Amino acid sequence: MAQMWITMGPQHPMTHGLWTLRVKVDGETVVDTEAELGYIHRGVEKICESRDFTQVTPYCDRLCYVSAMTWANSYIYAAEDLLEADVPERAEYIRLISAEIQRLASHLMWLGAFGPDIGNLTLMTWCMRDREMFLDLLQELGGSRMHYNYPRIGGVKRDMPIGFADRVIAKTKLFEKRLDEYEMMLDESTIWLVRLQGVGYANAEEMVNAGVSGPNVRAAGVNYDVRWAHPYSVYDEIDWEPAVEKPTSVKGADCYDRYRVRMEEMRQSCSMILDALNKIPGGMNTNYASGDEMIFTKAPTRAPEGATGFSNYECTRGASQFYIQGGGDGRGKNPYRLSIRSPMFITIPFVAKTMIGYKIADIPAIMGSFDPCIGETDR
Amino acid sequence: MGTSITQEQNASAATACLEAINARFEGTGITASVEHHSNAKKYAFVRMTCPPQHWIALAKWMRHDLGVNYCSMVTGTHFPDGPDERGWEVAYHFLRQPIQDQTPNTHHVIVAEELTGMDIPMEFEVFMPLAQGDSPSVPSIQSIWIGADWNEKETWDLVGIRFEGHENMHRVLNPHDSPEGFHPLQKQHKLRYHDHNEMYDDAQGFMRKPADEGRVK
Repeated sequence: MAQMWITMGPQHPMTHGLWTLRVKVDGETVVDTEAELGYIHRGVEKICESRDFTQVTPYCDRLCYVSAMTWANSYIYAAEDLLEADVPERAEYIRLISAEIQRLASHLMWLGAFGPDIGNLTLMTWCMRDREMFLDLLQELGGSRMHYNYPRIGGVKRDMPIGFADRVIAKTKLFEKRLDEYEMMLDESTIWLVRLQGVGYANAEEMVNAGVSGPNVRAAGVNYDVRWAHPYSVYDEIDWEPAVEKPTSVKGADCYDRYRVRMEEMRQSCSMILDALNKIPGGMNTNYASGDEMIFTKAPTRAPEGATGFSNYECTRGASQFYIQGGGDGRGKNPYRLSIRSPMFITIPFVAKTMIGYKIADIPAIMGSFDPCIGETDR
Repeated sequence: MGTSITQEQNASAATACLEAINARFEGTGITASVEHHSNAKKYAFVRMTCPPQHWIALAKWMRHDLGVNYCSMVTGTHFPDGPDERGWEVAYHFLRQPIQDQTPNTHHVIVAEELTGMDIPMEFEVFMPLAQGDSPSVPSIQSIWIGADWNEKETWDLVGIRFEGHENMHRVLNPHDSPEGFHPLQKQHKLRYHDHNEMYDDAQGFMRKPADEGRVK
């Protein structure tokens, strides 16, 4: 049969955003693919060159609309490296708690979007229900539902409100039980297993060489997590264990492994949140005023030419990195150059190549299992 | 707790890498040093400066002998006001991450505090200053780390640094029909309308003229 190119996207349910996957097919089989990105390139890196260091944070929130808190934190750590800011320990704990709540919300968004790809619409409604609990918690901290602008260079904007810790504990414990319900529904569903198992194999070594990171490589048995390898917040003080899946085939991880590793990661996030609340200095039911030295240290606002800042951060989809050069604006108030490394920008071209050899019907399962987000890809 | 890399492991790995680099590349113009981040846990990393002609040799050696298996980031910067020998700069960020547990059905749990030698994760930063001029170029490392492929595409697309030997170079973030030679992160392209007062005096933008009218394409 003659081979032909078909175009999936930019408007296609498989894409989870705006991008184009061009697929060359031989009958039903994929023989070649090509990814086209850049549909929502906003020029964030250029915009940041004319903003001062505090003003950059909201732009970083908007890099990815499902995990704004982790992206803002990622930028803040780079800015703190550049400006040599000290952070109070309580603020580090609050950042950890908020980042892990965001990770739960983000993975729930992923699972909720992945379910309909596979044909399980119930999953979407369940995930949206539970994600709302965590968005409510983040709203208590940042004041808005999705884009929080919450961390500050040298601390956080405001302390946890009174009663926040109790609500976190109640919701996290409820959610741990609901995770079991999810697994009962999914792991015993024939459709779910048939669509995911044995589909979309990705080899660990190839993935690392290609720059894939985060849950996607941990699904293939690579125990690499920035949170233990280059600990940045207080991750070395709380009890946790990176979620690593053992691959069931020599060919590497399939879609099912990538689903499993994220479920396990959600469990780990829950226990991290509970442990961090117990260990937080100053107590979980105290509320310090904004700007108190327990949650905020005043940081310098200018960085000299030649200074650089770098952060390596475990975002919800992999390692997000920021690299900043100081000395912009002639007086050092702005970044001279701010560079963003998005895990998905590297992953999507790799995923496009892993589809070769599978059927067209497998494309949504493979693509969805890698959790694409185009906001951070195109920047 | 055993889950995190300790400061001592990190310091010893950084020193070991530095000694290896100095022993191998002495007298070639490649300089290396151990630096510390000033955020979070103040962890150490290795910073190198490399002239472009030695870059491939250094990259291959890092990949095969130093165990650096992850190219995470390529950043190009334009310094139009810089000295003659540093009009452009390419900064590479690499990670060494241990790959283990390749065999199915064996779950080997890493205890981070017991890792030694090449298994300790480490971060590398390589600076490559380039001379002033219209056509900066460096050798491509696409064949050594596949992960550098799209990073290099992006750096060429946005900053305009050419990567010699890169296969299938094309626009990724800018439109595919952008004019040749248009690379928005070069410093001659100014952002317009970013003055605060100007924005609020004329929110609709009808009367607004760019401050750099006539000077920018």
